[in-house]
Amino acid sequence: MTQPLVAIRSVSKNFGEFQALNRVLLDVWAGEVLCLIGASGSGKTTLLRCINQLTSIDSGGIWLDGELLGVREEGGRLHRLTERQIARQRLKTGMVFQRFNLFPHKTALENITEGPVQVQGRKQGDARAEAMELLGRVGLAAKADAYPSQLSGGQQQRVAIARALAMKPMLMLFDEPTSALDPELVGEVLTVMKELARSGMTMMVVTHELGFAREVADTVVYMDHGAIVESGPAAEVLGRPREVRTQSFLSAVI
Amino acid sequence: MRAARALAGGFPDISEMTVARQAHWRRWLAAAAILVVLAAIGRAFVNGQIEWTYVSRFVTAKVILEGITNTMVMAVLAMALGIVLGVVAAIMRLSPNPVLKSVAAGYTWLFRGTPLILQLLLWFNLALVFPTIGIPGLWSARAVDVMTPFLSALLGLGINQGAYTSEVMRAGMLSVDVGQYEAAQAIGMGRLRALRRIILPQAMRVVIPPLGNEFIGMVKATSLASVIQYPEVLHNAENIYYANSRVIELLIVAGSWYLLVVSILTPLQMLLERRFARGTLQITR
Amino acid sequence: MTRLSFTVGFAALLAITTAKAAELPESIKQAGTLRLTVNSTYAPMEYRDPTTNQLVGLDIDLANEIAKRLGVKIIWSETPFAELIPSLQTKRADFIISGISDRSARRETADFIDYLATGPQFFVLTENEAKSAIDLCGKKVGTTRSTSFPIEIEKWSKQNCEANGKRAVQYAPGENSIDVRNQLKQGRIDAAVQGSETLPYAQGQEAGKYRIVSEPFSTGYQAIMFRKDDAALREVVTEHLAAMITDGSYKAILDKYGLGANAVAHPMMNAAPQ
Repeated sequence: MTQPLVAIRSVSKNFGEFQALNRVLLDVWAGEVLCLIGASGSGKTTLLRCINQLTSIDSGGIWLDGELLGVREEGGRLHRLTERQIARQRLKTGMVFQRFNLFPHKTALENITEGPVQVQGRKQGDARAEAMELLGRVGLAAKADAYPSQLSGGQQQRVAIARALAMKPMLMLFDEPTSALDPELVGEVLTVMKELARSGMTMMVVTHELGFAREVADTVVYMDHGAIVESGPAAEVLGRPREVRTQSFLSAVI
Repeated sequence: MRAARALAGGFPDISEMTVARQAHWRRWLAAAAILVVLAAIGRAFVNGQIEWTYVSRFVTAKVILEGITNTMVMAVLAMALGIVLGVVAAIMRLSPNPVLKSVAAGYTWLFRGTPLILQLLLWFNLALVFPTIGIPGLWSARAVDVMTPFLSALLGLGINQGAYTSEVMRAGMLSVDVGQYEAAQAIGMGRLRALRRIILPQAMRVVIPPLGNEFIGMVKATSLASVIQYPEVLHNAENIYYANSRVIELLIVAGSWYLLVVSILTPLQMLLERRFARGTLQITR
Repeated sequence: MTRLSFTVGFAALLAITTAKAAELPESIKQAGTLRLTVNSTYAPMEYRDPTTNQLVGLDIDLANEIAKRLGVKIIWSETPFAELIPSLQTKRADFIISGISDRSARRETADFIDYLATGPQFFVLTENEAKSAIDLCGKKVGTTRSTSFPIEIEKWSKQNCEANGKRAVQYAPGENSIDVRNQLKQGRIDAAVQGSETLPYAQGQEAGKYRIVSEPFSTGYQAIMFRKDDAALREVVTEHLAAMITDGSYKAILDKYGLGANAVAHPMMNAAPQ
């Protein structure tokens, strides 16, 4: 039997007195598209950020591609990894943020080549060629030399997706990728994400777009108060939720 | 649903009327009053006990030109040193490492907390504390030979400036959205690389106006180096008036040069601001 | 050369003072006060006593005695050395008695009544090898840059070092006499120059630290400086100064500060050879 790409075992996280994650258990398999839904404060974004270690966990473990994240086991105790080791672990994931976070002083093309050239040591020429390809894939080849301030929200988010893909990650993390967009721009971003899902990328998406979840997700996970309440195939969780809390959340948002 | 109402009466259509030009007579009056005052001050200067022939004679004297050159050289070099130290100190201050944080905080505290003239005098008289300086085993020299007026002024001004610049840089770095740092981390950048490639370039836009201001202050702060015998323009002007007793005239000569330099630097700072605002929405005037 | 100017100076003074007994100018007589300003960093001429912080010195004592004889009070103020002459020109001070040298370059707008013989003198740290002034050729010599000493050193060097095929003295500027002594102690300079009237005090302060090298290498005079158009005040002050020399009170003040050897026989006008 093969291993899951991501294994989350008894992960807890507190922010002061607030318990954001409470002994969460989850598997994510290669090629799976998993949507995390729930109210704000439910812990879904925190969980996502723990996977690429933007947020550190208090207890428990996350394995990515078989490697324990952020710590190593030795002599029955856990030792924190160095900053450099953690940065290297982040290369396996790509993240798309709610507010895009494109580098405003660089063009779209430069945003995409920044990682491969600076971090992975790729050659400028190769990185540029691949970046142009990615821009084409998200439908923005014409905007290669535009600055983020010259792009619409939807265009910026698509460039952000290309930027994350340029690092050739094995897992893509999306933190409410369309929440900050005007309604008419949401569609173009979801289109790119659907294409990405079809191409076989493993994706974890925190979202309120239940239509997207229904259409594209393999698994839907509903979280509440830092714990997973219900998880399963999209059609089941969204169509015939077993838990009462899931039902009341869904009826409130639809 | 209600039927739309007809517009109410009593409000005439004034769209064809033009706006009359305002008289602004109070402004003209104020301007005239200020001009009168300025003219009176000017007249007092012209008719006063100031021998303007000395001013015109010395304003282009060789030692004065050398002096202003030395002023500019020192201002540029000391500011450069100050910026380098300021960036390093700001990065250390924002580091998770408590040792680095305390060293940076201590540096800022010490060099902002003591008068610049004291710092200059201490560097110049370093030999009182360290008669010889060097690297054990490799090289050593007498402190008085190493700490020339130039080096003492450079270290004194630059290290002092660094303490102020570090606060400006820290504010600039904190002003960059934290999402930028997270995005840099997400593509695998370490802290230092993220600072260098992503944070600092964006911080520059916030940091240029105060740094430009600091540089203008530095140009004049170099005059303090006159007391450790660095031959900048004030020092050289003093030497002239020590010989011919024309104190005010020579100070006017030095003052005019400072004014000229600052007048040139101010529009240059604006050009620099514009360059660093590249890629952002401009606020139109 | 000095003898000639001495005679001329004395004669000039004699000519003026024998004309008629001088009177205090009206404005000063009305006010009942003399306004004087000094650069109080020049021990023993004028300085602040380190323990009492009072303004003391040879010039202070001389001026107080003159004021007593004139029947007026003195209002003292302090200022940097470079401000002394402007203070006189702007009439902030009635005359200057502040360790200032009589120099021809300064006589354009002022007249000097010479009252103390002085001259720049070399000194070194006691352990220094230099035995006489000639040993200082090619060495670094420092002095206060706002004085006339840098020019004196250059002149002396030309006449005594370069003229004999030796390397010139290297002049190193200092801000004031304390700064100069500081540089001497650190070894930044090999020797220093100060007015001969200040050396006994400096040696007294740091016993055994310094050694004077040779006699003063040029003679000049400390003088009381008056505005050129202020002849009346100048004459009345000179009169009383001459009287003080005659009755011995002048010598007593000089001896108090160990400068009896610097006394002049009578006050002279514009007599310095520089």
